[in-house]
Amino acid sequence: MVSLAPSKFFRRRIDRWVDAHNPPSKDSILLLNRRLYILPTRFGYLFAIMLLFLFLAAINYQNSMAFVLTFMLTSLAIISLWYTHKNLLGVSIKLQIPRPVFCGQACEFKFEISHPNSASRYAIGIQYVQETPVYLKLDPQQSTEASLKIRSRRRGQFKPQGITIFTRYPTGLFHAWGWLKYDLPVLIYPHPENDIKLQQSMVEQFDGKTSTSTIEGDDFAGLREHRQGESLRHISWKAYARGQGLLTKTFQGQARPSLWIDWDQIEENSIERRLSFMTALVLAAENEEQKYGLKLPGIIIEQSFGNAHKHACLQALAVFRQDDLNQPFNLDESG
Amino acid sequence: MADHLPYQSIHQEIPSRSSVFAVCFCFLFSIAPHFLTLPLWVIAFVLIALGWRGLQNLDKVRELPGWLLIPLVLFGGIGVFAEYWTIVGRDAGLALLTVMTSLKFLESRRHRDMLILVFLCYFLIATHFLYSQSIFTAALMFATLIVITTTLVTLNQRDDSSSLKDRFGVASRLVVMSIPLMLILFVLVPRVPGPLWGLPNEQRGGITGLSDSMSPGQISNLIRNNEVAFRVDFEGDIPAQNQLYWRGPVLALFDGYRWSQAPRKRLDILSLTTYDEPTRYTVTLEPNGERWLLALDVPTKLADESMMTEDFQLLSNKKINDLLRYEMESRLLYRVGIIESDDYLNLTRSYPPELNPKTIAFGKSLAQQYEDPQEIVQHVLTMYRDQEFVYTLQPPVLTGNVFDKFLFSSRRGFCELYAGSFALLMRAAGIPARIVTGYQGGEFNRIGNYLIVRQSDAHAWTEVWIRERGWMRVDPTAAVSPSRIERGLDSALSEGNSSFRIQNRNPIFSNLLYSWDNLQHSWNDWVLDYDQRRQMDFLSRLDLGIDSWADMVFTMVILLSAVSGIFWLGVWYRERPPRPEIYEIHFKRLLKKLARRGLEIKPAEDTRAFLKRARRDNFSQSDQLANIVDLYNRIKYGRQGASELSLNNLRTMINTIQ
Repeated sequence: MVSLAPSKFFRRRIDRWVDAHNPPSKDSILLLNRRLYILPTRFGYLFAIMLLFLFLAAINYQNSMAFVLTFMLTSLAIISLWYTHKNLLGVSIKLQIPRPVFCGQACEFKFEISHPNSASRYAIGIQYVQETPVYLKLDPQQSTEASLKIRSRRRGQFKPQGITIFTRYPTGLFHAWGWLKYDLPVLIYPHPENDIKLQQSMVEQFDGKTSTSTIEGDDFAGLREHRQGESLRHISWKAYARGQGLLTKTFQGQARPSLWIDWDQIEENSIERRLSFMTALVLAAENEEQKYGLKLPGIIIEQSFGNAHKHACLQALAVFRQDDLNQPFNLDESG
Repeated sequence: MADHLPYQSIHQEIPSRSSVFAVCFCFLFSIAPHFLTLPLWVIAFVLIALGWRGLQNLDKVRELPGWLLIPLVLFGGIGVFAEYWTIVGRDAGLALLTVMTSLKFLESRRHRDMLILVFLCYFLIATHFLYSQSIFTAALMFATLIVITTTLVTLNQRDDSSSLKDRFGVASRLVVMSIPLMLILFVLVPRVPGPLWGLPNEQRGGITGLSDSMSPGQISNLIRNNEVAFRVDFEGDIPAQNQLYWRGPVLALFDGYRWSQAPRKRLDILSLTTYDEPTRYTVTLEPNGERWLLALDVPTKLADESMMTEDFQLLSNKKINDLLRYEMESRLLYRVGIIESDDYLNLTRSYPPELNPKTIAFGKSLAQQYEDPQEIVQHVLTMYRDQEFVYTLQPPVLTGNVFDKFLFSSRRGFCELYAGSFALLMRAAGIPARIVTGYQGGEFNRIGNYLIVRQSDAHAWTEVWIRERGWMRVDPTAAVSPSRIERGLDSALSEGNSSFRIQNRNPIFSNLLYSWDNLQHSWNDWVLDYDQRRQMDFLSRLDLGIDSWADMVFTMVILLSAVSGIFWLGVWYRERPPRPEIYEIHFKRLLKKLARRGLEIKPAEDTRAFLKRARRDNFSQSDQLANIVDLYNRIKYGRQGASELSLNNLRTMINTIQ
């Protein structure tokens, strides 16, 4: 089918116009005429072409009933334009504050959708760009919850552009939609790098830096089989090097050493990998209920622990050197 | 970057099981009326394809591999060509469309394919109108539209959340709401005279009517058909029944058994002597598949795109495959054809001498007996009247020398035998004679004030050529059965045939039938014949000053917007949000006032926190504000609720805030 994409110049102008008319909302978006758009779908265009053929045939055969049919279908299309538009009109969509995720995980956007009228609204979809939409039906004067999952592709603050609420009900000839732009960014933490090699170097780093911290108990109690989910810090790497497999060192008594997760101490060239590595460290440290602090160039978060502290650290990692936080999430790059 | 285009991925979705069945049913519903005309193998093709798709939908069979479709397409195309020797034209085109649509079912997988199939079903509706444009077909169109639209709604609902009843309701509403808009478009969209490209001048089968030849038994078969041949609106009074001779094909060639048309040239100038005022009328002719335009004897005007032959028959320039309406003018008392070529006169005196010897001998003897041809005519007519000739629809089957047997032994026959034997006698007597076929009479519809002429009014009579007098009509049937000519076929036959005419039924029933026929006539008149000329006529009669294309389009846009507006208001009224409470309106006014003074309530801030903040910010009227908020909360949440007094209080208190 023919591509109906407008030229780049117009595209940019349209974008600017749409952005001007759709300011991001803090909590709830109400779809009224100004925020609601409608265009024919490609099937709408196909339908129009069919109508043209019918019209020409009617003229050619001077067949009155063919005229009636042509005009009937034309009217049907006009009416369905209203119907489709009406199906979204007055719907209000509230975004619940989204929870942060690690890069690579799907971040979930939960919408509360409601409308005040007495008729049900059918086949309303929520879609993120070209991905599979989520469909729902709105019962009269009730609110319905919909959740849309978007895979995160880059750390940072994510304000998705291009989530739409749309409908093609009832005939599929028209696509009515509104943009769901919220001023509620999702925080996307760096992806925690759980590479064994990295973990090993990390342990060694700890060994060098805080000599007491490798021994968590008072007395070495022996080695046992490593269990999945256990901190890799307790693995006896010497045993591993001897080819005995992964064994965990166990101690009697618990020591609570503190540590610094320091940007400068990590031997990795790529910024992103460094951040990933540090993220993994934060999680590991938090998991061990250990006091830890974060040192990034220009940022120091004092040693502490607990959920709030963890999130503060992760947030710092997420937004580190993200010069322009308002820059929209770039789709073309993420391809 | 935000994508401003409808998203393509939606078309790639897999339709639900129920919607695939819906599309199958929808196609079957749209095509079923054509099963009467489509060849059997095409019907089998449709059913097998749909059956396969249905089973595939139930996971009973696998989808046909793509390569298999190519031979199937070829098979379909060649099959249609073998059936019709063409792939264009009405019948072949329909068969091809049907076969290809069935094949499309076999390769339909996605939402997109289903939508295309539904559109094809919409298109299929139009094909019915190439066969019939009756009220019944129109009603069928509306039913089919609703079925197809229901399917479209099913496809677009995305889940099975609404019941069939709901979807049917939505589809019906869509279709019914389309009607007013359709009427506006129908009346006002400027009509273009067609055709835009050449129409195939197809031979269409299955149309009953007159034929271009006449052999015994042919017309009496037609007589049993009660279909309407044409309807006539007269400008003045309807002439007497015995004057209503509707002229059709003229048959001058005779082979001893069958009469057929002689090739005749176009007549450029009709010279006639007349004694009466012209009779003016409009004929609405049902399609007859031939070029014949029926008109009262003798027509003195041409219809559009028509010509008159040398034997005074009106011929259209193309085959009449659709309803045709034309204005006509005739003279009922006339002398015509006084000058006639010798060749033609010789032709109309000729007959094969070896057949029907008795008749020929009798004709020859008449020629010796009388000198004046008119006396010969009178003699034969008297013979029909006085001897025991019987007018009957069921004459004995005659073979061989048919006219000998009829005249001298059986003496029972229908109009074609009387006309045939009479013309042969005249020719034997040396008088040029020919057969004219057409219709005689017609039934007056007292409800609609017009004449209905049916196939059962088909008739055959003769014309003889007399020097100085020209071609003169002689109807031998009138001699043997005057009542056939005076009062129609029913009264002429006493054989217990079912009645052909409405007037002979019980009066209540006949009024109903007349009204129904009148409805059909108006339908023909207003719907089927609404062309450019009629459109201009109608609009100028409305006297609104709409007389150009620009006016029509302008009026159309205004009317469409008006109707849209009314619909919008209706929708808005029905689905309006509940009205906000009065105290909320007051409170909103208060918030607006405060905002103007720089005190704005934050989202998610409750009134108490807001009040606290106002105090902290040293808002000058914070005590007043506290009272208002207190009253507001009491009205909103309190047991008393909103009373006239409290609302008034709230209003006055808010008024005090600057």
